[in-house]
Amino acid sequence: MVVIVHPGNESVPKAATPPARLASLKGKKIGLLDISKPGGSFFLDRLEEILRTKYGAAEVLRTKKPTFSKNAPQQIIEQLRAMDAVVEGLAD
Amino acid sequence: MPQVQNAPAIPGFQSGKKAVVVFFETDCPTCQLALPYLNSLTQDSVQVIGLSQDDERSTRDFVSQLKISYPVELDSGLKISRAYDPHNVPTFYLLDESGQVEKTLVGFDKQGLNELAAAVGHTPIALPDDGAPAWKPGCSSRHLEPEAQGSTQESGAKLLRRIGDPASRITLRDEEDPFEYCRKQFGDALPVVPPTVEKVEAMVKATGLAPETVIARVPPFYGEATVEKIAANAVMAGCVPEMMRVLLPLLRAACDERFNIHGVQATTHFAAPLVMINGPVRQELGFWSKQNVFSNVARANSSLGRAFQLILLNIGGGRPDGIDMSALGNPGKFSFCIAENEEENPWEPFHVTRGLNRGQSAVSLFAAEPPRGVSEHTAPAGKTVLETISFALATVWSYRTCLMPEAIVVLCPEHVKTIHRDGFTKEQVRQYLFENTGIPVRYYSKEERAEGTQFAANYKEITVRGEKCYQKFRSPESISIFVAGGTAGKFSAVVGSWSTGPAGSQMVTYPIPDK
Repeated sequence: MVVIVHPGNESVPKAATPPARLASLKGKKIGLLDISKPGGSFFLDRLEEILRTKYGAAEVLRTKKPTFSKNAPQQIIEQLRAMDAVVEGLAD
Repeated sequence: MPQVQNAPAIPGFQSGKKAVVVFFETDCPTCQLALPYLNSLTQDSVQVIGLSQDDERSTRDFVSQLKISYPVELDSGLKISRAYDPHNVPTFYLLDESGQVEKTLVGFDKQGLNELAAAVGHTPIALPDDGAPAWKPGCSSRHLEPEAQGSTQESGAKLLRRIGDPASRITLRDEEDPFEYCRKQFGDALPVVPPTVEKVEAMVKATGLAPETVIARVPPFYGEATVEKIAANAVMAGCVPEMMRVLLPLLRAACDERFNIHGVQATTHFAAPLVMINGPVRQELGFWSKQNVFSNVARANSSLGRAFQLILLNIGGGRPDGIDMSALGNPGKFSFCIAENEEENPWEPFHVTRGLNRGQSAVSLFAAEPPRGVSEHTAPAGKTVLETISFALATVWSYRTCLMPEAIVVLCPEHVKTIHRDGFTKEQVRQYLFENTGIPVRYYSKEERAEGTQFAANYKEITVRGEKCYQKFRSPESISIFVAGGTAGKFSAVVGSWSTGPAGSQMVTYPIPDK
């Protein structure tokens, strides 16, 4: 009988319940996260404009990671936690 | 330091003895990193008191998981936090015998912690090369958050604890071939040595540590690399128990935030960590630095490199058919480990240039492209050999990309002889390569929008061989020199980098403990 030691990561990821979808964006605080890949700002600039003018968001918070190659710093995560919804501008 | 007026009494504080008081939140990763360091302060010289801004259950969890050995009290209603008003956590206050604030330290800062220790007559409590960064900012203090409430952390969440869970035992069915099972579940496309309990125990024993000791958390899944799990991967890779002496500091170095293994594993680029070994450990454990140094020649090189990659795979979760989406990959993902041929190196060895003593064994890591070869068999002058190498250096990452790339030049013994005979010191080699690696400006055209051209405004113009060029590298320090290889054949190599600096990966060198 062969018994081996489990060499891998055994932690079971806990399924998080996503928060309820917003019924409307009007009057809401929306966070935008730029991951610092080239071109991200153009897309998010336009998105910010649409959120304010077309959807009546009360506040659009622009945040930017110092580099795309590392996790967002704690301070940015804390700022985004205070928002009603967050859009992350991923990829190139 | 301002006297805190009318502050509520700190629970447990006794006047007549200095005190280190630390405000913290249970879900702040910097607090989880920092607070255990205070365990080292003996209670004779100083009182140590932790003040939690969270509820009793989270605090109890925190204390038990992180094995905090000093008293921790709750700052109920955040009254004490409001009085002392730390803007961030963790904030450490050194109080004198009458409770006046003598010194304040914000965030995790190894130097600051050691100064705090010195101020109470203690030896340093935060050592370099333990895998933790030198400095890390904390989180906002709970009393400054819009709705100051208790911890939002779910109970039982795994914090940055020092002792992990024991590894499960898997009993294989009698009809199961252990080699096939392990290859499929935990292998690297090739069969591995099944990590039986006996073999793993022998590997753990060689470390002298408890098997559940957490050495590092391996990105991208941040799985806990306990001594036991590291040992299991080392068995699978074919390591001898003595190799744990190198594998543990190697893991700490890899998970050092400066190296950014998370980015290296997640990139679409070729990068794989190149492991470089220096010092007496080479002879002690049989690391190879001569002919075929990049190949499959020595158990030490190949098994160490492979154990490391298996850990990245099994504990970190960086599967090459999954989350590791490198477009073309890198043969080094099987094993990428070389030792320096210090005996053929007339200059100081690589680890000495990195700041260690010659007699101190060391492991260095570099996020590396596969090596690109340079043949130079006919030039009699060292300067010409270097010029030939500079053409290969110019192609690192992408020809027209300057400033960001770094490189290691692996010089073969024959090239080293020629260059050294012509009077070059190692610094002069780096300086020469730095000054003479340039990309002709005429290759940059805005219309084509080729990679590297978009940042041309930031590049430095130099003249190389009479031609206007952009300087490839930021500084001579971007080019490292490593002597390795066989004594026959005038072939050297350039090993290019991934993204570098604080935004990418930085080379790290960690000492390997003596035998």
